[in-house]
Amino acid sequence: MPSARRAVHSRSVAGDAARLRVVDPDGYPDWEAVYRDNIDRLYRLMYARVGNRPDAEDLTSEVFRTALGPLRLASSKGEVRAYLLTTAQTVLASHWRRTLGLPVTSIDPESDIAALAEPSKIEAPSDAPQRAGKILAALPDRYRRILELRFLEACTIKEAAQAMNISVSNAKVLQHRALRSAAKAELELEQ
Amino acid sequence: MSDRRLFSFIDALIAGRRPGRLKADPDDVEVLRAAITLGSARPGDATPDEQFVADLYQSLANQADPTPANVHPLRMRRGRTALAAAAASIALVGGTFAATESFDQSPATTAAVGVPHEDALRTGTFETPTGEVLGQIVAYNGHPSWVYMNVGVSQSTGTVMCMLQLNNGSIVAAGTIEIHRGTGELSKSIPVDIHRLRGAQLFTSTGAVLGSATFA
Repeated sequence: MPSARRAVHSRSVAGDAARLRVVDPDGYPDWEAVYRDNIDRLYRLMYARVGNRPDAEDLTSEVFRTALGPLRLASSKGEVRAYLLTTAQTVLASHWRRTLGLPVTSIDPESDIAALAEPSKIEAPSDAPQRAGKILAALPDRYRRILELRFLEACTIKEAAQAMNISVSNAKVLQHRALRSAAKAELELEQ
Repeated sequence: MSDRRLFSFIDALIAGRRPGRLKADPDDVEVLRAAITLGSARPGDATPDEQFVADLYQSLANQADPTPANVHPLRMRRGRTALAAAAASIALVGGTFAATESFDQSPATTAAVGVPHEDALRTGTFETPTGEVLGQIVAYNGHPSWVYMNVGVSQSTGTVMCMLQLNNGSIVAAGTIEIHRGTGELSKSIPVDIHRLRGAQLFTSTGAVLGSATFA
């Protein structure tokens, strides 16, 4: 190689070497990988915190739109997930502030990291059914039945009233009392 | 919050609707939390809708590459345009990944590298021998060059092999597409000028030909 070309080549190699860096094998190669690996579980986590699909979809979208911009892909997967969770924590808090004025549910990046830690191709084993089962098991029969009809079987209040052979007004009162009782049971489960 | 408003909020949760905005009392918080816990136990809505996942992906791809005018002249169908945008984003990020320090930056930053010219993209449609459409493939010419493809097949899980063919008939790259719920995607860097590509073929795990695509 002529010396001039060799010099240019050397400078080029040196320049490339200066820009190249070691990529963490435990990291994500691009934003698409971040998305595909976390979309499923992040949605599930958000759904468990808001209880309805439209809000869960909006909030999941907001997390990705907010997080992907400043995201450092050089970080490890664990660090990226922790960052997504921190963003989700803020997004969810803003949601409750806008809609109800009080934080009804929250995300804790430390305790909820397990929700994103598993491989996304495996169906996430949500603990919501077990948790709901424990709450319902702690209730008197009629309270449990009205909540099962309404929340698990998605009956309208009229259908639930018919199934329990009571009036619609009574069904509303029963549901209200059952939910108060369920709230106490949930608090006791957390302690 | 009055009992009536509380009931309306909970009724919306049960019906899967978006609850309205209300001023909640601290006394209601535990009740609302219990309602959310019970509601989220119902199977179905806890899993993200595939269309939502695809739409958000597309939206984020556009956010990373906000210049759709570069793919418009190709007059591609809507699905293929989406695929091209995704492929372009991958190429931009992939190219950055290969050799520049801006790998650490956001997708928006990588867009400054430049978006592909229309002659840097080639597209094809995977079809069965009977003409049934299986998916799309996009090839991007760059450093490195990339291919991106998606397929929809009758099998719900498993793998599909993809082989790229040069104009002279030789195979230049092969990849395995993981099928999940009947669909799968693959992106792969390829060490050739995409203008030397003739097309691609899909094979089942037993070697049977599923379909093929010829680059336009």
